[in-house]
Amino acid sequence: MTIQITINGNPCSSEAGESVLTIARREGVEIPAFCHDETLAPYGACRMCLVDVVSGPKKGVTTACTLQAMDGLEIITDTPEILRLRKVLLELYLAQAPKSKTIKALAAQHGIKKTRFAKKVHPEDPLQGQCILCGLCVRVCRDIMGAGAISYIGRGQFTEINTPFYEENDACLGCGACAQVCPTQAIAFEDITGTRVMKSWSETKVPLKQCAACGNYFAPVPFTAYAYEKLDPAIRDEIRDLCPDCRRKEMTRKAILLRAEGVGR
Amino acid sequence: METARLNEIVESYPTPTGKILGILEQVQREDGYLQKDVLKTLAEKLEVPLSELYSIATFYSFFTLEKLGRHVVTVCMGTACHVRGAPALADTLKALLKVEEDETTQDGKFQLTTADNDFTVTSARCFGACSMAPVLRVDNKIFGYMTPERIPAVLKQFGWEEDTHQNA
Repeated sequence: MTIQITINGNPCSSEAGESVLTIARREGVEIPAFCHDETLAPYGACRMCLVDVVSGPKKGVTTACTLQAMDGLEIITDTPEILRLRKVLLELYLAQAPKSKTIKALAAQHGIKKTRFAKKVHPEDPLQGQCILCGLCVRVCRDIMGAGAISYIGRGQFTEINTPFYEENDACLGCGACAQVCPTQAIAFEDITGTRVMKSWSETKVPLKQCAACGNYFAPVPFTAYAYEKLDPAIRDEIRDLCPDCRRKEMTRKAILLRAEGVGR
Repeated sequence: METARLNEIVESYPTPTGKILGILEQVQREDGYLQKDVLKTLAEKLEVPLSELYSIATFYSFFTLEKLGRHVVTVCMGTACHVRGAPALADTLKALLKVEEDETTQDGKFQLTTADNDFTVTSARCFGACSMAPVLRVDNKIFGYMTPERIPAVLKQFGWEEDTHQNA
């Protein structure tokens, strides 16, 4: 059902129940958010997407990501109160992740250069002092990849994200989805001849697959197994064990041969 | 914990949801702590990631991942107890039981077990017994108005002997 909502005085149409953050972004209204990803359910953890509901069933400040659109809803994204709250949040984030360039940049945009709060400084932090605990990596690993290799450890101000027992975890597919979704680029991994080392996840080691044609390492073995599992068997048999480059060459060669049929090789 | 017993505990919960905490609690009550192997077996049985079980085990202070001694001595480190001398109690306990300080975590908590596994010294935030601060708990018994001088007498009630520990 199509409904009308109002963002900063401008009417927008959307589907009922859609996340207000999604609608705002589609309409070109900039709302910062760290813990949101369209592939995952709204989480409301980072609190950056706070907006003011001026007309709706429950007026007041709430997170846009978890706010579901309904007819007649009216929100404002940049009231002085929202900006004030956002500045406090950024100060808290500067303390939680003092090394993060993303946080520093957004804070600077809001005129925040310093934080009143005690900075977390751990020289050996596997997340390089950049983790803001948004939970995207935990959720993408568990909910999308189905691996659940990492999770929160402890609670309160001492919460960390890592593998269970801070040990190498063979549940890790080595896919790197965690690093991909991380809003602060806190997660590090490195490919060292035939092995992917998940540096942030207790040095978990995942073997890399060699291309059957060129011999280059191109993807982690458990991740390719996961991907092949999801593929149509015919396609799976066609691409198995080939790296993207060789696959492309192979496909092109086949296509050319098909066209040139009759001409001979 | 034997696998058979673990199966029994798991099977005593008919519903698939909301049973993890109950199972972990039962395991902790019977084993005294959550063993890594038990958590691994449990993760497979319940089909939940090990990371989730570890997350739960580290979130709740009720759970412990290390074996505790036969008697658990808890020093209350709440505000009232703290200002009335709880740190001195903790220091005295550590000295008497000869446990080292190197296991203190970043949040200032500690959990130290004697070599003979008789006692574990640990800290808690508040017992809610502030009127008799500073307080000490041994197993389930609360000792109020504690002083470092009274600690040996309390420990002796739980089988502690000064000399054997000094020779050990």
